Amino acid sequence: MLDVSPSIYSLIALFVLAGVQLAALFSKGRLEAPSALRSLWIFFSAIALADWFSFCGAMWLLAFVSFCALREYLSLVDIRLEDRWGILASYLSIPFMFYLIQIEWYGFFIIAIPVYVFLLMPFFVALGGRSQGIVFSVGALNFGLFFYVSCIGHLAYLLFYSARMTLLMVVAVAIADGVYTSGKFKSLALRTLVRMAILCPLYVSLARWTAIPLVHSAMLGILIPVSVCLGRFTLHAVEQDLGIRADRLQPGRGRTIDGLKSYLFTAPIVFHYLRWFLKWGDL
Amino acid sequence: MDILRKALHLLLIRPLLHLLFGVNVVGRENLEELDQFVLAANHNSHLDIFLLYSALPLNKIARTHAVAARDYFSNPPWLFKAVQFLLRPVWIDRSEGGITAIKEIQRRLDDGRSIIIFPEGTRGAAGELQAFQGGVGLIACHNPDVPVVPVYLEGPERAFPKSAPVPLPLWNHITIGPPQLLRGKSKEISSRLHDHLEALAEEERAYRQRRMAEPHQPLSVAVIGIDSSGKSTLSRRLAGCFEGDSCFIGDSLELFKDRAPCDAQPLVANEVRKWVGRQAKSAKSLAHYKIPKLAELLLRDRLLSDVHRWYRPDRIFMDGSPLLNMVGWAILYHEDAFTENICAAAMDILTGQHVCGKRDPILKKFPELEALRKLNLTHLHLPDAVIFLDVDPVICIERITARGEKVQAHENIEKLTKLRKAYHLVCDVVQQTLPVLRLAGDESLEKLTEEAVAFIRSADNETN
Repeated sequence: MLDVSPSIYSLIALFVLAGVQLAALFSKGRLEAPSALRSLWIFFSAIALADWFSFCGAMWLLAFVSFCALREYLSLVDIRLEDRWGILASYLSIPFMFYLIQIEWYGFFIIAIPVYVFLLMPFFVALGGRSQGIVFSVGALNFGLFFYVSCIGHLAYLLFYSARMTLLMVVAVAIADGVYTSGKFKSLALRTLVRMAILCPLYVSLARWTAIPLVHSAMLGILIPVSVCLGRFTLHAVEQDLGIRADRLQPGRGRTIDGLKSYLFTAPIVFHYLRWFLKWGDL
Repeated sequence: MDILRKALHLLLIRPLLHLLFGVNVVGRENLEELDQFVLAANHNSHLDIFLLYSALPLNKIARTHAVAARDYFSNPPWLFKAVQFLLRPVWIDRSEGGITAIKEIQRRLDDGRSIIIFPEGTRGAAGELQAFQGGVGLIACHNPDVPVVPVYLEGPERAFPKSAPVPLPLWNHITIGPPQLLRGKSKEISSRLHDHLEALAEEERAYRQRRMAEPHQPLSVAVIGIDSSGKSTLSRRLAGCFEGDSCFIGDSLELFKDRAPCDAQPLVANEVRKWVGRQAKSAKSLAHYKIPKLAELLLRDRLLSDVHRWYRPDRIFMDGSPLLNMVGWAILYHEDAFTENICAAAMDILTGQHVCGKRDPILKKFPELEALRKLNLTHLHLPDAVIFLDVDPVICIERITARGEKVQAHENIEKLTKLRKAYHLVCDVVQQTLPVLRLAGDESLEKLTEEAVAFIRSADNETN
């Protein structure tokens, strides 16, 4: 049973999600579907799409997610009118980055944002012509690019290597999120420990299916809760500064960004961990 | 035709707006129950009209017309045709005046149709609500039974601002306020509608993230003039004439809070400057005067930065400006060489705006300038406003002798006349970029103060 392809599981997950959404729809407001489900929808469909149809389709779906998140972030952050060239350049970097994934040009993909985009972005911002506030603008744009293009790009690259591991990571992050939002465990250390206690056995027991060696499975079970914890903590602070209220998420006012916040730290960490220890690609 | 129109709205415009820009409509239920309405929205961008149509319920699209300026959409012709077909707007020809358009609007309202109008008339500054034109008031006044719906658009001023050549994908939020039945005079209606929109705008603005406040920029006013022209008395008096924090930099450093003097923490630069100033005053000849005076002026400029940094006043009043005094004195030493152009170039070099090579002829001519440049002391402050107290040197000499203090090396009629001429030249140059007030100094102090206060207030408004 363990040998079946991951998209079966993601399809099952999709059905469960659809059930929850429908229940929320028919309960007329008594039951509210958690906002975190939106991102799960996207990720599970991307995994199913990648496994059954084409990786390209899934990848461009994730590119669209990246676009939506970046658009929302740039709408919320205080940018100057003069930064328009910089904003245009950051939108254009999305197809560029995802095209690099499509042609499997790993080396360039990994340095594209930290080297070329981070060098060109200040240039485009400076093209705007007003120097006052330029440091803040460059910082704001670079932050958005790194998190909403580079980190989601890492998720797509993980999907390219292995749909199973992506599925397992998404599920793990969702569980970790669930522990976080259930609110039963008050202290941060306790929450992280509980997550580890759930995720470590999960990863270890699925080690044969994912083909990750036992040691690394256990390590991932520790790593994911820690990175989810870091990510949530960091991006929560950012959201507060952007004026996103978790209790009043509106389209365009934090709905996309809030749904993604647990995945942003985890995706690159898991990706690079696996890439290094499983010796994917040409290191 | 209506079906095609609706289909185009539903299948082309709305998906395009949603995919590319993102549209969030709040308060759609306010429109659903109305049969007929006048929709009044703020206007910042070309996107506004399409966004408003995408917020309308589908069955109202065909029966709603926007008021649009013909000259915006007349180029290229296909755009005009497309807008004409999709929105069937009431065209306003802004060269003709609005009466024909108002009549056309009235005709359509009588027909039971709805109107979208931008009461500001034209696209205003980003994110600000301008004063309303009379049109909306007139329409509402003539149709008291048609509800007016205030709508605030937030986002198009960033997605596609007035100055931008291309739109960018950024979210747009459309807030539809509760419908208003406005009765009364047209002007009253206008102002009440403005208040409604302003209230919606306030709510939306509260969402916006704001980065750090812009650094505090005090207004610095320099009072220049020859010795004993009463400039220090005038500038000190002016510092006590304004509300808020004012600072006076003269022989002493004084701080005023809401017109009353208050204690100032001593600054090291000020103490050093005072000592150097005493050295300059006791100089025996003009040659000995030069170096300490220069040092004193440089220190005074340094003091200006310190005052900015530590006292953070709203206004700074200076007895003389280091930069302008320096240039004035330079003219005194090299009077024949100075013209307006050279004076402007020297000032640009001293403020660090003018980048010249090492071999620039002006540096050859004035070794002092070269020395300052080598010492990297060419970052002097230009004041925001200049007041020149023009007094006859004869009167000044009288005042100086009456004071009974030791006469400084340059204080004789010949030198002071030259200095006065030099300051006139400086004012001519400065006038091109800054507000300058020339006062005849032999008038009473009250009158001078009054004029100067009015001048500073207008300069203050200009810089804000």
